[in-house]
Amino acid sequence: MTSFSGSFAARHALLATSAIFIFSALPTIAHAAGTRAGTVISNTASATFDNGGGSTTVNSNTNTLTVDELIEIDVDWSDSADVVTTPGATSQPLKFQVTNNGNGVETYGLATVSTIGGDNYDPSVTQIVIDDGDGVYEPGQDTIYVPGSNDPVLNPDQSITVFVLSTTPGGLADGDRGGVQLTATSKTGTGAPGTSFAGAGEGGGNAVLGTSGGDDSDNGFYIVSSANVSIAKSATVLDPFGGTGVVPGSTITYTLVATTTGSGNLPNLVISDAVPTGTTYVPGSITLGGTAQSDANDADAGRFGSGTVTVNLGTVAGGQTRTITFKATVN
Amino acid sequence: MKRMISFAFALSLASALPGVAQAQSANAVAIDSNVMVERTTTDAAGRSQTMLEEPRVVVPGDKLVFVLNYRNNGVRAASDFVVTNPLPQAVAFDGTSDADASVSVDGGRSWGQLATLSIRNADGTSRPARAEDVTHIRWAFQQPIPAGRAGRLMFRGVVR
Repeated sequence: MTSFSGSFAARHALLATSAIFIFSALPTIAHAAGTRAGTVISNTASATFDNGGGSTTVNSNTNTLTVDELIEIDVDWSDSADVVTTPGATSQPLKFQVTNNGNGVETYGLATVSTIGGDNYDPSVTQIVIDDGDGVYEPGQDTIYVPGSNDPVLNPDQSITVFVLSTTPGGLADGDRGGVQLTATSKTGTGAPGTSFAGAGEGGGNAVLGTSGGDDSDNGFYIVSSANVSIAKSATVLDPFGGTGVVPGSTITYTLVATTTGSGNLPNLVISDAVPTGTTYVPGSITLGGTAQSDANDADAGRFGSGTVTVNLGTVAGGQTRTITFKATVN
Repeated sequence: MKRMISFAFALSLASALPGVAQAQSANAVAIDSNVMVERTTTDAAGRSQTMLEEPRVVVPGDKLVFVLNYRNNGVRAASDFVVTNPLPQAVAFDGTSDADASVSVDGGRSWGQLATLSIRNADGTSRPARAEDVTHIRWAFQQPIPAGRAGRLMFRGVVR
């Protein structure tokens, strides 16, 4: 039995708990797009009773509310880690997700800023590209974004992948980090959350800015990975008499130690050294890491031709050493 | 001949019904529904203030308070008094401070306190019902409503 006093107490309990309800409700707004803009909510209660004439039902008045468009946008950098780049590299993609968390169709403009601070360098953004839906950057297949011309139009809950392509400046050090900020801005407008744009919502209602305020940004990062090689050359001499004099007939053993540094790779690292004039190369004397190499231009790494010793080391990661030796006799 | 009689009887019943309903609503129970939205504003000092407003438009996430006022306008007590409010599809139930209320999560077929209800999953298992599963709320009064007595019922919802 609900009496007057009972409902009065209930009302007080209701108001006392309202603050808690509000806090718990906030995340709901950010997650799902929610009821589509323009939806009409109607509420009617009914009462059945018997006052002697049998069971009777009466309906209340009907309250109707219209759901306005809530503009809610989310931009999220979605690479799992910093994107590895090398000095001078072009069209390196950063991957972002742009999601319409609002409840109406909305058009968004995209823009980038690379002077975000807190990083080591500013990548030079060359293009924004809208993915064709597979989440993989494919030049020529994905669509190049042109502001004002092909601004993405997103349905509620729809998410698109956007790639930001940049050129990495030359002369950067290994481990340098550079960030780019991508911003998506509602074409309806931006402002403080709760700002209402009369008649601008889907279905002709108002458009109301949600917690994002009509725009959202996120930063994506590149990390420079480079490697360097240094070569130390030394020679030992064995003369025909068992000494170390450089006389005709002495054999000189040259040792080249290539040392790589840095976090990157050196692709197709080739070491070549011309046999000094006044000496003659000793055929079949090339070794790599202690293993003999043939002089022919064949499957193994070493070869000799045109008076030059050449060793193809392939791709060498930073932090390694390769030791090459060859011999020549003094004429 | 028999068919004609039954037809005439049905006709007279149909025409009589609206008259009966009218007569009863004039001196029986009336129920009135109001919906308010709870809007919180924060002032410069960071204090938040919650206001109840009568909305025409809402956005997803808005907190609604449904208020039902009833009154027995009749001269006799109304027994077996039950108030039922189906939740609009776009509104998720968000509780009621009224312990007498029971809810349904199956379109009004079964009723109980939310904690006692469950939802059957597609794979045959079941899970405890949640507030957003509620389809109807109702108040079934144990005692008759005396003539002239009025009261107020409330529940909360969130625009999905």
